[in-house]
Amino acid sequence: MTAVPRVGRAFLPVVATAVIIVVLPQVWFGSSEYTTGLAVQALILAAYAVGFNLIFGSTNQLFLCVGALAGLGGYVTGILADHASWSIWPAMVAGTLAAAAVGGLLSWVSVRRSLGVIFTGIVTLAFSLAFQDLLLGVEHLTGGSTGQVVTAAAVALSDNRLGGYYLFGGVVVGFLIVFRLLQISHFGWAFRALHDDEMAAELAGVDVARYRIYAAVIGSAMIGLTGALFAYSDGFLSPPTFAFDQVDVRVLVLVAFGGLGTLLGPVIGAVVFAFLDYALINSGQLRELLYGLCIVILFLGFRRGVIQALGGVAERFGPGGTGAKRWRRPAQIRERGS
Amino acid sequence: MKAVILDGIVLGLGLGLLGVGLTLVYGLAGVLNLAYGEIAVLAAIIVAQLIAGGVPAGLAAVIGVLAGATAGILIDLTLMRPVYRERGGHRVLLGLLLTLGLAFVIEGVLTWRDPLGALSINVAGGPVRILGVPLAVGSVWASVIAVAVGAALLVFFTATTFGRAVRSVIQDELGAQLVGISPPLVRTVIFGLSGALAGLVAVTQAMTAPVSVTAGFNLTVLALIVSVVGGLGSVPGAFLAGVLLGIVDSASATYIGHYITSIVLLGAAALTILVWPSGLLGSHEG
Amino acid sequence: MLEVATLAAGYLGQRVVEDVDLAVRPGEAVAIVGSNGAGKTTLFRAIAGLLRPLSGSVVLDGRDVTRWPAHRVAKAGVAYVPAERHLFPGMTVRTNLALGAYPHRPDHETLQLVFDIFPALKERLHQRAETLSGGQQQMLAVGRALMSRPRLLMLDEPSTGLAPKLAKDAFEALRGLKQTGMTLLVAEQQVPLALSIADRGYVLENGRIGLQGSPRELDQNPEVRRAYLGIA
Repeated sequence: MTAVPRVGRAFLPVVATAVIIVVLPQVWFGSSEYTTGLAVQALILAAYAVGFNLIFGSTNQLFLCVGALAGLGGYVTGILADHASWSIWPAMVAGTLAAAAVGGLLSWVSVRRSLGVIFTGIVTLAFSLAFQDLLLGVEHLTGGSTGQVVTAAAVALSDNRLGGYYLFGGVVVGFLIVFRLLQISHFGWAFRALHDDEMAAELAGVDVARYRIYAAVIGSAMIGLTGALFAYSDGFLSPPTFAFDQVDVRVLVLVAFGGLGTLLGPVIGAVVFAFLDYALINSGQLRELLYGLCIVILFLGFRRGVIQALGGVAERFGPGGTGAKRWRRPAQIRERGS
Repeated sequence: MKAVILDGIVLGLGLGLLGVGLTLVYGLAGVLNLAYGEIAVLAAIIVAQLIAGGVPAGLAAVIGVLAGATAGILIDLTLMRPVYRERGGHRVLLGLLLTLGLAFVIEGVLTWRDPLGALSINVAGGPVRILGVPLAVGSVWASVIAVAVGAALLVFFTATTFGRAVRSVIQDELGAQLVGISPPLVRTVIFGLSGALAGLVAVTQAMTAPVSVTAGFNLTVLALIVSVVGGLGSVPGAFLAGVLLGIVDSASATYIGHYITSIVLLGAAALTILVWPSGLLGSHEG
Repeated sequence: MLEVATLAAGYLGQRVVEDVDLAVRPGEAVAIVGSNGAGKTTLFRAIAGLLRPLSGSVVLDGRDVTRWPAHRVAKAGVAYVPAERHLFPGMTVRTNLALGAYPHRPDHETLQLVFDIFPALKERLHQRAETLSGGQQQMLAVGRALMSRPRLLMLDEPSTGLAPKLAKDAFEALRGLKQTGMTLLVAEQQVPLALSIADRGYVLENGRIGLQGSPRELDQNPEVRRAYLGIA
């Protein structure tokens, strides 16, 4: 049967990434806690980015509320665990679901009102900023700007950075698997169709609205789950962690750089920007300036993202990819009204 | 109650002026300039440095506005070139990212050179009573300037040949070319105008409260909210939205609380987009 | 007035129009006929400056305007009315016409001339362009083009979207214009209409000039008759 080897090839990049993640600490980090910490940060951003990539890269919904969705996941987890005495695992599920629900709602609204890219961006940005204000305002629940400790957190993970590294490494690989599965399924076919030409997709019978919402819900769940896991592993929540200029700006830049809509784009982007952050750490006050310069130069040079620029090397494996070669419409495509 | 409304109007006129610059560029070039607030701050710091160096405030303000205009023109001539070559979603995204990067650069330079910098302009004179409510003289001046500029802009766009040319490019770029209008030239001029308005906003805001080096992002977000509610591309819309939001802000801050006020403003923006996507007085996008 | 030599133009590297030579003398009315897809619009866009030619040259009154952008060509006295018209939809008839005179203020004399040719426009002065009917929009498009007192008026498929009677009326108006001395270059699918006002015609087929000659010559040419008039 040809399906198995083909599927195998499809997941090669994911497997490769997993291997690199597993091996990296031995090869690179030594026992430097600092480097490990940076790597954890990069993995968390990569996890957010895969979710964002699914929402924006695949279905053109500019969700500028990644930080807010993550914060929703994290704070719901923290509040339920600490104030409502839930046990940590159900709390994390609740956090993830909350994020997924809000993301789905935002998408539904955007679809219903036929908001374009910019307006979706503005509405989600408004949500993002409002959420930040909400966190600061509802101090008795969230601890306000001083933050709050998540007492149910796994102490072991916050002290042992390597534990956090493997946790988020696993999360990133898991998300990549989900992303890849979607790409090679009827979802992926629909996403590519509506990404390229929305009207044509509609006319071909693809229920654009529904697929957009699916993408938003799954992507938001990913982001929320990462936020929830962050609460669990780090043990300390504070609003700035999930602020627009901390999360969204970074995610947006690194996904656009790595290649929107591609499988490994978020990972590559996260790695490059981790190095960038590391290189700039000693620049002190020049840091912001240099960061901005890098963004400008990178985007002047790589307008469609690094992956596209490199000829889509990572996408050559497997039947997915940006140039959908499958012209036969899969039987499971959801039609309008069904 | 009267005080709240008047405060709101004063605030709102400033917001309107802030929104106009951003809305013009979006309506014309399809670009959301995220560096807009930073241009205002840049102008503010330049004015502050000039005043500290002994230059009379009035002259310094004029130079600040010109500096804003120059910044706008430079951005259009350099950074925006690759952006204009793209279309639709790609143009939006590239424009967003490049102006975001630029915003970081400007804020980075300013905070590096002068981390505590701020512009404050003290207008001589005691409080002015309007309808029985005492208002700071600086605020009154700021409002008067905003209204005057707003009126000038309206006249410009409806009654002058170039103003009509700008509107024509918004409605049908190809048609504009056919009658001899150069869309790139129009874009450059409007970008410059937008920068000048940013500089003017910095100066007038500084008459009411200090404009600090870190105010950039907030200014951009406020401008964005006002533009969107007023209708992207509409000058009168921006002012109307500004005044309405100013009153909402004033009322909310007085009767409810600080954080809720921000949420209310943001909610207003989101609500407007959802209910009237083209804003209050949205211009026709032919 | 206008000399086009070995012009080639197209999109994304594809050559749609190849090796085109044509000339328009002052006061002449020249017709370009060809079926759909022959390349008439591409040719016109290349001449008007909306499309950069791949090779060849366009010379207007002795000046090489080959690489000039559209607005510059327009300012040099070429008024181009595309098939899609590209009016300013939210603006009134009056404003559309006024903009036609850019960068000058509208000239009363010229405005009067336009109203003489298209009285319907005068009646609808304050109506928004988007609310006009197809025929009225066509009139407005031509009127706007005339406001700049062009030396050369280029029209791409003026009969587009017009019922046969209206199309005939449009060409009547064009004949009137020609009689005032206007130089015309008209691309048209409907051969009889085009030949009714032309002094000379070119046949564009698959991007190349196939035939050229006077209307009578073209009309009697069996190839033309077969291809465009459906006469076996």
